[in-house]
Amino acid sequence: MKTPEVAIELYILLSAILFIMGVMGVLLRRNAILVFMSVELMLNASNLALVAFSRQWANGDGHLIVFFVITVAAAEVAVGLALIVAIFRTKKSIDIDALHLFKD
Amino acid sequence: MELTLFVIIGAVAVISAAMMLISENAIYSTLFLILNFACIAFFFLMLNAPFLAMVQITVYAGAIMVLFLFVIMLLGAEQVIPSTETRFNWLASAVVGLALVFLVAVSAAIIDGKIEITEPQKIEPHVRVVNAMDGIPALDVYLDGTAIARDVEFHDNTRFKAWNEGRYTLALFAAGDDPQSDTPLVEQQVELNRGEALTFTAVGRLVNPGPGLVVVTEQVDYNEEKDTLRLIAVNGLPERALVDVLDESDSGNRKVLVDGLEYGKSAETEIGQGTYTLGLYSDGDKDNRVSVLKDAEFDANTTVLVVFTEQQQPDNSFRDLVINVENKSAPSFGGPTHVGRLLFSRYVLPFEMVGLLLLVAMIGAIVLTHETLAPRRRMPRRFANPAVGYEPPADKPGA
Repeated sequence: MKTPEVAIELYILLSAILFIMGVMGVLLRRNAILVFMSVELMLNASNLALVAFSRQWANGDGHLIVFFVITVAAAEVAVGLALIVAIFRTKKSIDIDALHLFKD
Repeated sequence: MELTLFVIIGAVAVISAAMMLISENAIYSTLFLILNFACIAFFFLMLNAPFLAMVQITVYAGAIMVLFLFVIMLLGAEQVIPSTETRFNWLASAVVGLALVFLVAVSAAIIDGKIEITEPQKIEPHVRVVNAMDGIPALDVYLDGTAIARDVEFHDNTRFKAWNEGRYTLALFAAGDDPQSDTPLVEQQVELNRGEALTFTAVGRLVNPGPGLVVVTEQVDYNEEKDTLRLIAVNGLPERALVDVLDESDSGNRKVLVDGLEYGKSAETEIGQGTYTLGLYSDGDKDNRVSVLKDAEFDANTTVLVVFTEQQQPDNSFRDLVINVENKSAPSFGGPTHVGRLLFSRYVLPFEMVGLLLLVAMIGAIVLTHETLAPRRRMPRRFANPAVGYEPPADKPGA
């Protein structure tokens, strides 16, 4: 079998970069929806690493796990956006700095 | 070429992720994230995962991000008005610094090769059964006492099945026989290695010369794309010691594909795709055709197994027959078939649990967003009590 032209290290590196960008987004942004999207970015970065390893070991299990991650992400988005909508109704804002429930 | 593509798409992915983080407008962030997801779908394609690439585009970029856009537009929350004082500013810079340090450390470790990654593995062995032996109703095939196929009728074949590598005793039984007590028709040692697809073909007659077994091994390489196909011919004619296979698609110009194929042996050759007429001749005798496979269509990048065998007639004579096993080569890695087969064999329970999770999420979304906290309507119930009678609202004309 010929060796793939792009080594797996590069995929893992790209995946790490994207994951860290997602972490930064979660920690630094104020907009709750942006925070949420950063979580999606992190999930995608991990998916990329899973698929890369899956090719490396010629094992389909990684693909299945990515499939399940995508499904769970869909469920998570449904619940999370519902939470954001509910919070927006009461607080009239989705700034996460404004969400100090016990402060005021 | 592939590396250039990787660098370009990777740069687009990183830049779009960065733009998502620094965009002030949430709509732009969403669009940049969609671009990022498209790049990742492209990487899935490069990593031999076409099915996941498709799911990524439809589910992620399509459904999930549209939901995000919808909620942003619904709430009118494109921009968060910055609060008066900026607290935790030291935390932000610390986080960025730590993240960068971590990133440098990880990339140094990866590039330096400290992560132990050996050569890419080959796909697990696959096995299938072709029954080209007439005389018994059906065939059961066992590997070390575990059935890989049951009730394979004459002229039939099974699909490729993944199996663990190792040495096995392959045994063929007449359908219904007990592998523990009955004697097998044929018994043979086989070795299953990674990256191989094995076809066990039962040939011969029940008596004189007795059943035979042809094991055809093909190398499966999911990384290789070719415009040719492999033709594997199996001689299952006990009375023909040596046969030739000729390509007769052009009757004026016959080409020898396989020369001098012994009984119970297989031969492999590489041909271009197209429609073929294959003729079988006794070795050296190019005038009397034994049997023929007419106008068979062969696609590129597949493996075609052609078994020349014979069928028992009611008067106990034998008629020559060609079995052309369909172009079902081992399932391509990462394709929809491969993923689907895994999903419905080893991952049925997780799949159902994920389905349950989606159901719970749906109920959760409904519970979270429906307005229990809002005050109830104080309007009189108009239609609640039928005994009171129904008065049409006065403001509706024509009612």
